[in-house]
Amino acid sequence: MLEYILAKYNFWIYVVLMMIGLYAMMGKRNLVKKLIGMNIFQTSIILFFVSIGVKKGGATVPILMENGHGHGEHLIKVADYLNPLPHVLMLTAIVVSIATTGVALATLILIYKRYNTLEEDEIMALRKDASSYKTLG
Amino acid sequence: MKSWFKLISWVAVIMTGALLVYGMHDMPAWGDPNSPANSHVSPRYILEATEKTATPNLVSAVLADYRGYDTLGETAVIFTASISCLFLLRRIREEKKGRKKVDA
Repeated sequence: MLEYILAKYNFWIYVVLMMIGLYAMMGKRNLVKKLIGMNIFQTSIILFFVSIGVKKGGATVPILMENGHGHGEHLIKVADYLNPLPHVLMLTAIVVSIATTGVALATLILIYKRYNTLEEDEIMALRKDASSYKTLG
Repeated sequence: MKSWFKLISWVAVIMTGALLVYGMHDMPAWGDPNSPANSHVSPRYILEATEKTATPNLVSAVLADYRGYDTLGETAVIFTASISCLFLLRRIREEKKGRKKVDA
């Protein structure tokens, strides 16, 4: 059983990270904690994709070392370089995650200004009481 | 009521995790050079990218050349996010300056 877990231990780590993030998004009441959970979730997926591109056996970062010498392309061996495609895709994913985090933090500032709290149940209680909702604005 | 909701989210999280662990069995081992992700299209990029784009860095070759339109869309995402932050936070700055408060 232990060997079975250790054989693909990286996937176990990502599953655990994703569960932590998902629980923080669903079970926590504080909106900032929900946002942190979303970031943990995104990080687990980014790590998962990056680990797909790993090659064992002496592969280095995908920057070609021999080029511009005429017959250079014959020397390139696929096994010498990591898979560049997951890196590219996760670069895009990091950019999207930064964008969502920025907009979410700006929205949280506005929510805090309006309700003076970031606890979800307190905000819902304030919203349920329509008369107090009007006077808060 | 609170613990009831937390229990529901625990059940959902554990079910999702179990589903992922179940799907994990078919994944290739970590660092396998012959895994499907490393052996289908990726060799073509590694072998031909320098010749076609004259860039030794494969990541930037794919990012800015093969997937140039994707990167253009990415900058559109960043632009949209920065404009949204600008419009969301502008109200606060105006209120701080003591101007008339804008009702949402």
